[in-house]
Amino acid sequence: MAPKITVVLSQGQSNSPVKRRFEEDLITAVMMEPNMEATVVPHLYDLKPDGTGMLCLKNLSGTFIIGSWLFPRAAHWILHRNGIEGKFGKSALVSDGEEEEETEQAPPPEESNSKRTIFHLNLKASKNVDDYLEEIRRIVKEASTPLVQLSLNDWIKGKPKPEQMDRYLNAEEPGKRNGNGKPASLPILGEVAAKNGTPPLTNGSEEASPETVEPIRIEEQTKRRWYPVIDFSRCTNCLECLDFCLFGVYGVDKVDSILVEQPDNCRKGCPACSRVCPENAIIFPQHKTPAIAGSPMGEAGGLKIDLSKLFGAPEGSALDTAVKERDRELMLDGREAVGATVGVPKRQENRQDEPKDELDDLIDELDSIDL
Amino acid sequence: MSDVKTFMMGKYEAHFPTDRNYSKNHMWALPIEKGFRFGFSAYAVRLLQDVYFLEWHVDEQSPVQQRQEIGDIESSKAESGLYSPISGTLTIFNEALLSDPSAINVDKYDKGWLFEIEGSGEPLLSIDEYLQHLESSWEVAQRTIKGQVY
Repeated sequence: MAPKITVVLSQGQSNSPVKRRFEEDLITAVMMEPNMEATVVPHLYDLKPDGTGMLCLKNLSGTFIIGSWLFPRAAHWILHRNGIEGKFGKSALVSDGEEEEETEQAPPPEESNSKRTIFHLNLKASKNVDDYLEEIRRIVKEASTPLVQLSLNDWIKGKPKPEQMDRYLNAEEPGKRNGNGKPASLPILGEVAAKNGTPPLTNGSEEASPETVEPIRIEEQTKRRWYPVIDFSRCTNCLECLDFCLFGVYGVDKVDSILVEQPDNCRKGCPACSRVCPENAIIFPQHKTPAIAGSPMGEAGGLKIDLSKLFGAPEGSALDTAVKERDRELMLDGREAVGATVGVPKRQENRQDEPKDELDDLIDELDSIDL
Repeated sequence: MSDVKTFMMGKYEAHFPTDRNYSKNHMWALPIEKGFRFGFSAYAVRLLQDVYFLEWHVDEQSPVQQRQEIGDIESSKAESGLYSPISGTLTIFNEALLSDPSAINVDKYDKGWLFEIEGSGEPLLSIDEYLQHLESSWEVAQRTIKGQVY
């Protein structure tokens, strides 16, 4: 059948014993599955771009599943920022037994050329390990079935032998294996590749004794980080974040596309730029407000209603809040507050809540509103 | 308990005792020896539903400004910052709620009280003014909730 699929578990930031136990239970459950193997990394958001954890994730070829204490959208774009791309695989598991909403967002269009899918599990969605196991099994089934049926049969016209299967599956990511021979760079991963190379062909039968493989545990000293993560499926490159942030976090690449250039310049706890973003494209995964932390629009799972406005949060637009937050950080940094005199977006005011496609549309729209 | 007045939140009847004042941010305010004791009104509790967790960001005996953020609340349905309804000195929090906030749901007008503030009680509303306020803000409240859910 299918090769082993990697289930990555990104640990929580805190050493909360409850979370740790839950994580270990989940890992143990995954290990017992014949067609899965587990990799444990520290909290995804805190991983350094060139650290062992990210390196390990970069070396995963093909489809994988990752569970983290993050909104899937946040986790997806953190991986993207680190060059780990794949189609966004949404889990059906949402919190509090709420049903999945039909209004889920379309997958990011610019990524459709990515061959593999990375499935995201939000570990906050349920406290029950079995829920995750069931969902992981479902994903594994979903992820492997079409792969074999549609393409493999065309290719070899018949029943694949293990070696053929191996070649086929390993050929899936030619760049990774042939181009630069990366898997060898981490000895621990070489071992996995070796195991991965001989998928147990059990015909999916349960009686075959499951071969339990110890999980790979990436030990990386992580510090808690705080930086913005851009959702490029929403970002229109309006560069208002670049204008607004006075700490040099943002920059542009050679073709003037926005990027988070100096993430660690970001001021801990400050989400001001995300409030300024007209498209709500800037995620601070650790912020307490779900909309800022990357909750998907339209999904009720894990998302709680924010009643602050009704309960007397000071009136004022997101922009006012952003300006205040920025001033506070400037002063903490020993600089002068600038209020609304610097880098304040012009379009932020009067904007409507409908999603907008083009900058032009937006401006036209605003011009036509008589306020 | 004294008389109550009612506001219909959709099909839900929210009751408000007439023996006290109310604040625009949906707390009741009962005059005490010095200042007021505050708690959530039925309107607030209905929006929150089961309260799971409550946290205060200021210490007792701290000066607070009206609308200053003084804490956080999380419930089965919602989360919110908590804001001081008046200016003054926050003298005491209801300690019992920190370990078990369920009194907010079962006994909101008595044992579920939140804190006391010594102050003039300047912008507090009478029961009728509060009901008027609810009338005019119910639309906005519904929009706020629906806007986030759908």
